Amino acid sequence: MIFKWIEKHRSILDFTLSSLLRRKGKNLSLFAVYALVVFMLASAMFLTQAMKREAALVLKDAPEMIVQRLLGGRYDPIPMEYVEKIKSIRGVVSAAPRLWGYYYDPVIGANYTLMVPRSDAPASEKIVIGNGISRTRMIYRDDILSLRGTDGMTRSFTVAGEISPESELVSADLILMAETDFRGLFDFPADRATDIAVSVRNQKELLTIARKVADLLPDTRPILREEMVRTYDSVFDWRGGIMIVLLLMALLAFAIFAWEKASGLSADEKREIGILKAIGWETADVMIVKAYEGLLISFFSFTVGILTAYGHVFFFSAFLFVPAMKGWSVLYPDFRITPFADPYQVAILFCLTVMPYTVATIVPSWRAAIIDPDAVMRS
Amino acid sequence: MIKLSGIIKIFNSGRTNEFVAVGGVTLALEANRVTVLKGPSGSGKTTLLSLIGCMARPTSGRITLHNGLLSGKRFSGIGEVAEVEVTSLPERFLTEVRRQTFGFIFQQFNLVKGVTALENVMLPAYPLGEKHDTVRRRALDLLEMFGLKARAAARVEWLSGGEAQRVAIARALMNDPPVIIADEPTAHLDSKLSVDFMEIIAKLKAQGKTTVIASHDPLVCGAAMVDRVIAVRDGRIDGEGP
Repeated sequence: MIFKWIEKHRSILDFTLSSLLRRKGKNLSLFAVYALVVFMLASAMFLTQAMKREAALVLKDAPEMIVQRLLGGRYDPIPMEYVEKIKSIRGVVSAAPRLWGYYYDPVIGANYTLMVPRSDAPASEKIVIGNGISRTRMIYRDDILSLRGTDGMTRSFTVAGEISPESELVSADLILMAETDFRGLFDFPADRATDIAVSVRNQKELLTIARKVADLLPDTRPILREEMVRTYDSVFDWRGGIMIVLLLMALLAFAIFAWEKASGLSADEKREIGILKAIGWETADVMIVKAYEGLLISFFSFTVGILTAYGHVFFFSAFLFVPAMKGWSVLYPDFRITPFADPYQVAILFCLTVMPYTVATIVPSWRAAIIDPDAVMRS
Repeated sequence: MIKLSGIIKIFNSGRTNEFVAVGGVTLALEANRVTVLKGPSGSGKTTLLSLIGCMARPTSGRITLHNGLLSGKRFSGIGEVAEVEVTSLPERFLTEVRRQTFGFIFQQFNLVKGVTALENVMLPAYPLGEKHDTVRRRALDLLEMFGLKARAAARVEWLSGGEAQRVAIARALMNDPPVIIADEPTAHLDSKLSVDFMEIIAKLKAQGKTTVIASHDPLVCGAAMVDRVIAVRDGRIDGEGP
């Protein structure tokens, strides 16, 4: 019995393949549109996921809390004496001042993030640079990078190394330098820091400690790591969401296109179904042919769409979507994202594309399949 | 034997364009005979043929297939039967009875374009789940029987009219049906090919096949192997000839 079933399906599959090949033009156009829709949706999905993952990687080592000073509701450098005051709060393990800022490089029209690391800072007049800067400015170890200070004087720094590319989202535009160099370049007051990084003993007390900081130093604003993670997530979700909404329009158009293709069965196809019914095929047999046709087109279109989207995002830097997704601060020509694909998301995409196609085609196919076998006699 | 009792077929019943194609036919067709339904266009002979071949259901009346046509046939869900009243069968069983009992030869040949002559012949066997190689071998044997083995790999649109019809006959015989139903089989053939066709029918008769042909071609109606000519007019039987 099972062998009969296998043989039947093998024969019908054989016939389906020859049917698809007979209508090359129609099926190739369907395949192209289908694969394009999958490609666009998958690209948006891969990119959103990858950006969120990059952000998560960045924030993994971020301090649990950052304290900034506000002046007139705007950010202002924080006095160094606040460090000791924060340390005095019960439950605080450490409070460390941080020095960092932005530098606009008119040569390539990009912003660098300059930072003094908390440990292993480079020696004076030495810097460690991110891959993006290295690629764009074509400077490598032992080369010189000149930066213009706020006093109008140009200072030269020797490249002592490059930052590992584990997460290029922030490291691409990063320059690490010594504290004296940083303060000199920006004329940053010696008794001030950019902000203060705080770590606590008990995570559950984080909110209480944040409130204590705000009470003790009313001109400051504590920012928690969770808040940063949420902000990044919602920024990328929002950007990705807008793209997905736009692409859903494409998906809808595709469903209409598929419906039109399937319901607009040519006279030849209808005649063929009539012949099959007349020579002894049941409605179910004809539906099997139609189901195989749909499955084959879906499978190949989905596979090609997903693979090209993967290549587009992770090997060609998502050049089609990147202006909408990455934002202004990291716009580097050769920005690359670490390859990553979530099987769960791929499964969702499969349902989002294959299901509408199947639903759009099944009814018209069934309507064609229930044609009376004697229609052939009467034609 | 195929028995028709009080068969009526009405198209578009109850609508303004209602049309009575068959208006009360009672008829018995013997096994292993060649019967021709003769009549002008629109007389209802094609409709009658499709009712006999279980392609359509009558509006009223009964069609019964009797022993002799069904011997050795086993239908899933019905089993081995001596006779079966086909008009009340559900679609699935009706399709199976049609597939196992009747082979159809159409006026336009109705071959599937774009595939080979061989695959066209194999098509009726696909839903049966027989081994692909067995089906292929049987189809090749049939094509050989009709002198078409060399054309097996040719697409059907490359075949001549005579070749296409012989492929259609081979296809009709693929599931070894006891009854051949042919609708205006010589309408698109010249006289020589029409005579050739009737010779094939004679051979099939010699093999024990029952044939029912709808035609108004004198070459068919007057052929020596034809046992019975039934005149059909306005959906009714209008006399009978030899």
